[in-house]
Amino acid sequence: MFDTFFSDAVEYLPVLMQGVLTTIAITIAALLIATLLGLFWALLRVSGVAPLAHASRILTNLIRGVPIVVVLFYMYFVLPDFGISLSAFQAGALGLGIAYSSYMAEVFRAGIDAVDVGQYEAAQSLGMSRAKVLRRVIFPQAFKIALPPYGNNLVMMLKDSSQTAVITVVELSMQSKLISAATFKSATIFTLVALLYLAMSLPMMYGVGKLERRLGNRK
Amino acid sequence: MIKIEQLSKSYGSHQVLTNIDAEIQRGEVVCLIGPSGSGKSTMLRCINGLEQYQGGSITIDGVRVDANATSIRQIRQRVAMVFQRFNLFPHRTALENVMEGPVHVKNESLAEAGERARDILASVGLAEKMAHYPNQLSGGQQQRVAIARALAMQPDAILFDEPTSALDPELVGEVLGVMRKLAEKGMTMVVVTHEMKFAREVSDRVLFLDGGRIAEQGPSAQVLTQPRNERMQDFLRRVTHAE
Repeated sequence: MFDTFFSDAVEYLPVLMQGVLTTIAITIAALLIATLLGLFWALLRVSGVAPLAHASRILTNLIRGVPIVVVLFYMYFVLPDFGISLSAFQAGALGLGIAYSSYMAEVFRAGIDAVDVGQYEAAQSLGMSRAKVLRRVIFPQAFKIALPPYGNNLVMMLKDSSQTAVITVVELSMQSKLISAATFKSATIFTLVALLYLAMSLPMMYGVGKLERRLGNRK
Repeated sequence: MIKIEQLSKSYGSHQVLTNIDAEIQRGEVVCLIGPSGSGKSTMLRCINGLEQYQGGSITIDGVRVDANATSIRQIRQRVAMVFQRFNLFPHRTALENVMEGPVHVKNESLAEAGERARDILASVGLAEKMAHYPNQLSGGQQQRVAIARALAMQPDAILFDEPTSALDPELVGEVLGVMRKLAEKGMTMVVVTHEMKFAREVSDRVLFLDGGRIAEQGPSAQVLTQPRNERMQDFLRRVTHAE
């Protein structure tokens, strides 16, 4: 196996790289959706308006309680029934983004909750409006607290982008399955795929760890 | 200027403050003393609308303090607060902390607010520390920044909630020194404190709270040296013993 690994690797790598590009693209698109939607959920949670906060909690719990593949099936197979036809890539990015928005919302909310009550009081006692208290004092601090877990979610999302294969997105894992089915070189190809995922996720994990240490020092 | 009438507050069935009557005149320095749990911090926080109250009223120059009304924001701009744990904004430098209110609440220009903030920080002895972040400052320095932040709002009165209780003993003096200077300049101050020496020497009047009621009050010299209330005599014995 090992004598042919490198020659095979050279042969299949270019094809796998197409899968890598799709994986990166779908992760970035989903990250954008998850971040914006997650922020929206978190803002509703801290809005101080009880019905909005409740609605946000119920919706995010519903999303969290459903497996990602089921969300993806919905985007790809159910939305067309309502006249919304998405490409596999669009449905994948949207489904992954929506599924992760609930985790992102938790990350943001936890960050906001972790800011000391005294910070609210100090800001209020200056005469700030609630919106200004949040914008000027709470969010900048919550952001730093939320950054490391946000980064961890990003790593998970990169790996979970492989689940979009079930709705025919040809990302890295799907690409490898197709090649291995055609060539029977499973060991070589799946080892390459694992290495490619690691090449993306390890630097991210390293970055998150570094960020954690830096923010931890400065507090 | 601060008028408290029949103030009552409870958390559920637990009565924290009962029928408090007090009036604080402009330029007066009043210390709230009493055992922990007596309600003195709660009373102070009610004046700033950080706590809601159920009975009675608090008015600042005739305007009722209501934590839920938008008028509370005007009141807070006139009645500043200094906290036990400083509560400086950790993501901003000392100077930025002091400028925050004038610039972002009162919409003053950066130049104007910056100049005054520098003057105030210099007056509390922190001219060298303006660019430092709170975690680069000692507790005493942080509390002086917090006092500067309150002063920058050009308030009519400042409420101090145990301003030296979180400090190492050797840092208490520098904060009390700043407060003493403020009192001499005629700032209206309400101070929750356990520093009896400060209460005796600086304040005009002392209110002794016990179990959510004002148990004794009067000119500090008189009340602190010849208390009539038994609980207060007991309290004073304990705190002065610790001193």
